[in-house]
Amino acid sequence: MADPAARLSRSWRFVPLVVLAAAALLLLSGVLAGLYGERLYRAQKAREVGVQAEILAVTVSAAVVFDDAATAQEYIGALRANPEIEAAGVYDATGALVAGYHRAGAALPPRLPTATPPVFQGENLVITKPMIEAGSVVGTVHVRSVLEPLSRRFSRYGVTALLGAMGILLLGVLATAGAVLRRANNELRQRARALSAANDALRVQIEEREKAEEALRQSQKMEAIGQLTGGVAHDFNNLLMVASSGLDLMDRTKDAARRQMLKDSIRQAIDRGASLTRQLLAFSRRTALKPAVVDLATQVEGMRVLLDRSLREDIQVQFKFAPDLWPVEVDPHQMELALLNIAVNARDAMPTGGLIVIAGQNAPNIDEGELSGDFVRIAVTDTGGGMAPEMVTRVFEPFFTTKERGQGTGLGLSQVYGFSRASGGDVRIDSELDKGTTVTLLLPRSTKALTSLEPDAPEKEPERGQGRVLLVEDDDGVASVVGEMLRELGYEPVRAASAAEALVVLDQQRPFDLVFSDMVMPGQMDGIGLAREIRRQRPGLPVVLTTGFSEAAAAANQDGLRLLVKPYRIEQLAAQLQAAMNDPRAAG
Amino acid sequence: MLAFTLAMMAGGPARAASLEYPVKAAFLYKFAPFVEWPPRAFESGVSPLAVCVIGHDPFGATLDSAVAGKQVSGHALVVRRLETISAGSGCHIAYIGGSKAQSVADGLAAVQGSPTLTVTDQSMGSPRGAIHFVIKDNRVRFHIDEVTAVHNGVSISSKLMRLALSVRLRKGGRA
Repeated sequence: MADPAARLSRSWRFVPLVVLAAAALLLLSGVLAGLYGERLYRAQKAREVGVQAEILAVTVSAAVVFDDAATAQEYIGALRANPEIEAAGVYDATGALVAGYHRAGAALPPRLPTATPPVFQGENLVITKPMIEAGSVVGTVHVRSVLEPLSRRFSRYGVTALLGAMGILLLGVLATAGAVLRRANNELRQRARALSAANDALRVQIEEREKAEEALRQSQKMEAIGQLTGGVAHDFNNLLMVASSGLDLMDRTKDAARRQMLKDSIRQAIDRGASLTRQLLAFSRRTALKPAVVDLATQVEGMRVLLDRSLREDIQVQFKFAPDLWPVEVDPHQMELALLNIAVNARDAMPTGGLIVIAGQNAPNIDEGELSGDFVRIAVTDTGGGMAPEMVTRVFEPFFTTKERGQGTGLGLSQVYGFSRASGGDVRIDSELDKGTTVTLLLPRSTKALTSLEPDAPEKEPERGQGRVLLVEDDDGVASVVGEMLRELGYEPVRAASAAEALVVLDQQRPFDLVFSDMVMPGQMDGIGLAREIRRQRPGLPVVLTTGFSEAAAAANQDGLRLLVKPYRIEQLAAQLQAAMNDPRAAG
Repeated sequence: MLAFTLAMMAGGPARAASLEYPVKAAFLYKFAPFVEWPPRAFESGVSPLAVCVIGHDPFGATLDSAVAGKQVSGHALVVRRLETISAGSGCHIAYIGGSKAQSVADGLAAVQGSPTLTVTDQSMGSPRGAIHFVIKDNRVRFHIDEVTAVHNGVSISSKLMRLALSVRLRKGGRA
């Protein structure tokens, strides 16, 4: 990493060395300066005292030559004025002392035959100078001077030493600070590196976890498909058994009443099959919800008979709805189915009987993640055995069931979940072992006006019609049955197996009064494409689409096309065709 | 400044008398370093410097032994004893003791103008040369007459003059 911090610390690495070198250099130069100063001082002192000795030698020489000790003493006495000179003496040519003086503590050598170079004796400087007259040495002068006390000299050097020491101290502090800073930098870098490594490890773990979760989801899906296959196959086999045996028995009897009974049981089996597929599609959200704005209190009250019939006699149902309950926009049939599923589960949780309370109240200003705004809360509470926490988390999974095989499909609460989510709401489950379970539906409040519910068309005679109908259907079986139904209703059906074929038929044959087309077909063009093409080419020709797929249904709704959801009964077919033919949009 | 003592003469008068002439003999040649002669006084740089005793000789061998081997500025010292002195005697230092043949005053007059340092002695009479020995406080001392010296072309060092009891300075000369 070539970041500035690293570069900085790399350059800082040499600081202690530099500081040490500088300190050593400073110390050395201080010592040298001291020594040099000392040497200069000594040389200067030697020169000074030497000059005084020379002056004395010159002035006193005659007195020495003529043994004039008094005069010599006078000359020497002049030196007393200088406090640094503690002793001075003049000696004649034989080395004998002629005159001299000395302060207390100092002494003069009794004899001094010859001059010597300057001598430093401790804190003293001894200078001897020859007296020379006309080329001859006539005597010697001895001057002993006190040097400035070492302590005073050192105190003078001390200032320099102090400055040097302070400089060294400063450099030391700087070096220490640099080292500390560098260590801190290193630590920071290491922590950053560790953090980055930890981050990487975390990311890897997250990725691995996501992969594991994906694998888990996939395996759950496979498991679900397996359970679906078993459960649905079982249910459908039962229904098919009812239908098949009903048909067999119908062939063997002429009794009208018995035939009617068999017909009813076959019809019931088919209805249950349709209901089963509707539940499957609702769960997979592939069903087309038919939302309506409903008052839940009224809607649920209307279920009382249904509930009483579905539950056992030893189970009591209570309704507790707030009087000012807000309306909600839901598919009423899906909602009824959801409540029924919850109630059936509650019933099964109470094998020895109990109480089911269905309560409704407003839940204003909810703000929980996806959910925000006003909601209506429907809570279904039972007094059953409850569930363990690990089961609570799984009850909304499709095909998860605690019941015996054949007793349930495991789709009940899945339908509840699919319904609540598709309605823009949510479902929660609270359960405690041996205390009971509460399933709560949260449904978004609607501000729209209540929709007047059309009651299911009773078993009345379907309206008959007339005209040519182009039936577009790729499935031969369906085409055959629907063709029969159309003829039964008075229409004249012509079948086309694909959208392309339908367009050809429309071009070549006599005009048609209506096109009734499946939506999902093989080929380049599907039902919606065909409808659009017809609307473009023949604006007056009404088109009715049919499908079992909710996604296709949603697309048709978006295009404003008429739609009949499979499976449909002959009465529904008649009504839809009548409505399409009478539609002013299509007719105009 | 004018005080003069002789360290070696610490004893009484009797002793002083016995040491008087050896001291004077030493002084005679010791004057030489403090005196400057004109170049004409020497034939060459190495020609000897003559210390003459004119007439009465109170020193005897003392002077010879004191002078023996001595040199002053490259000039070897020699002792010469003469009855009389004249301008051509070639004496650089002349102790004029006087004799029947030539009195002290005559001797001084004879070398007037010639490069000779004339030395007289109180004990030999009152006439004074450039240097005049006296005894004061039992010590050998001397007076200096710079006028006489300058008249003879000889200059005396101020160092020597400071040791004199008195100095007769030449006019306009030094203090």
